[in-house]
Amino acid sequence: MNIPPISRPGMGAAQGIARPEMGPTGGRPSAGAGATGAADGAGFGAKIADALQSVEASQQTADGLAQQAATGQLTDVHDYMIAATRAQLATELTVAVRNKALESFNEIMRMQV
Amino acid sequence: MFHAITTAHSGVTTMRTWMDAISDNIANANTVRSTDQSAYQARYITVEPGQAGPDGVGGGVRVAGVEFSDPEGRLAYQPDHPLADENGMVRLPDVDMGVEMTSLMMSQRGYQANLAVVERARDAYLAALQLGRG
Repeated sequence: MNIPPISRPGMGAAQGIARPEMGPTGGRPSAGAGATGAADGAGFGAKIADALQSVEASQQTADGLAQQAATGQLTDVHDYMIAATRAQLATELTVAVRNKALESFNEIMRMQV
Repeated sequence: MFHAITTAHSGVTTMRTWMDAISDNIANANTVRSTDQSAYQARYITVEPGQAGPDGVGGGVRVAGVEFSDPEGRLAYQPDHPLADENGMVRLPDVDMGVEMTSLMMSQRGYQANLAVVERARDAYLAALQLGRG
């Protein structure tokens, strides 16, 4: 069983921010976006979507094995337990990333202008 | 992601396969055949390291194949046995119960050790997720 990585080329938002080809308007290149280092909402969103797909895949693997266990077709007990552990870890990681992102957003919203 | 868990998973699966082979051997330790048949051949699994990842580690282990013991087995004198030949000989498998029981202990401990790795890796990853909380 090989679960694809959630996001191999760096989960950090720093990489998304530095990508010059994506503007803050959502994918269209905009002049000077790279130079100003504007927050790349689309890039982060796409990464989160990728991550969610990976988490869903690991949960589906665990679900499939749980079904096998219930129907008596599970060949290895540990297969299910390890898949469930993976799914749990992936889910908690996603939740942590989401919380961090939300925290940053709230922090910016509280900023006095 | 979670490479330590993937690696330990391969170890657990290998140890389970080993245990299966030992279970076969113990179950057939007393399987009697007639002398014109081949004896039960004890199963011994061979393992090999898996393909390591880009950082050179995390290949894990996998079962390469199964080796079978000598089909000659050993001959025993049991003239009362229904399968005995005209000389009263039957063929028994070449299974050493002492070796099998020792291997059984090793496979069980190996299984547990690999599961301990899964547990520790899980704890470590969860600890990383606690960073910056509170």
